[in-house]
Amino acid sequence: MTITGESQRKIDDYLGRLRARLRGMKDEDLREIVEELRSHVIDKATASATQEDATETVTVLAVESAVDAALAALGSPEELARQYMTDNLLAQAEASRSPMRVLHGLLQWATLSLAGFFVLMGSVAGYFFGVVFILVAVAKLFHPHTAGLWILPSGGGGTEFSFRLGFGSAPMGGRDVLGWWIVPIGWLAGAALVMLTTHIAVWYVRKYRRSMSLP
Amino acid sequence: MSGQHAGEQESGDKWEVQLRKGCLELAILAALWEGRRYGLEILRRLESDSDLIVSEGTVYPLLTRLNALGLVRSEWVESDAGHPRKYYSLTQAGKRRAMEMAGIWARFSTSMRKMLAPLMKEDK
Repeated sequence: MTITGESQRKIDDYLGRLRARLRGMKDEDLREIVEELRSHVIDKATASATQEDATETVTVLAVESAVDAALAALGSPEELARQYMTDNLLAQAEASRSPMRVLHGLLQWATLSLAGFFVLMGSVAGYFFGVVFILVAVAKLFHPHTAGLWILPSGGGGTEFSFRLGFGSAPMGGRDVLGWWIVPIGWLAGAALVMLTTHIAVWYVRKYRRSMSLP
Repeated sequence: MSGQHAGEQESGDKWEVQLRKGCLELAILAALWEGRRYGLEILRRLESDSDLIVSEGTVYPLLTRLNALGLVRSEWVESDAGHPRKYYSLTQAGKRRAMEMAGIWARFSTSMRKMLAPLMKEDK
């Protein structure tokens, strides 16, 4: 049995829409996915068209409606792509350990579950403070008198800590807690925070990928 | 039907979807237990022996994930149909995983059956 031009075009169209949404995936993986689904649709359509008509003459119309049904049963290419992309992004996050990859994977996970959302929030906070530490350590070199970790009197009579990059003047009544120590401490603490955040996020991603609950 | 009843119905359906999703992976590993199969064969096996399939499309991303996790391996095999098919088979890790999950499932279903025995009696 052959698939007619019109049905072939529908299959290509479906796979094209799928492919367009599988961004950032390796060419080889992309080809595997597309070819597997193509062979599924052809097999499925062939089986159901020949089943309906036991005589060897399968009408063009029967084939076309069988292809339509097979494509419909797969669901929309957008939804299918989302399912492929989720694990692909998490796998990349797990393998690469670069903060950008990790955040990208977590962003996808956060759209799927509350657990993912919390891990994303925690990671954003961890990276944020890590970067702030490093920025202050760098700023100290350019604004020695005003940059640093300051302790300031706050409105309610208490005190608060403030990371300052050194723009503007030194705050009234404040004290630069670490002085020049902010340079090594900032670098070390910042780098440690970024690495720790990545480590913890990847640990959660690893656990999640191996759990049974992925949609 | 009252609004509250409709809400209960909906959360019951949602629960069933979650249950199916949770079991699909074990069902796929089990479908490969006796040897290699391609996607459509796995689907047919699931359709004939279970009612786990929500959408056919769900199975393929799941197979790709199991492959990436090293629980199954895949190979392309030429067929009489004139195009190659992607066959999956269990790896050692996949076999271990399936056995482990089957053990958990057996314990779980035994205890649930005990818990549900009073309800089932009333049903009859």
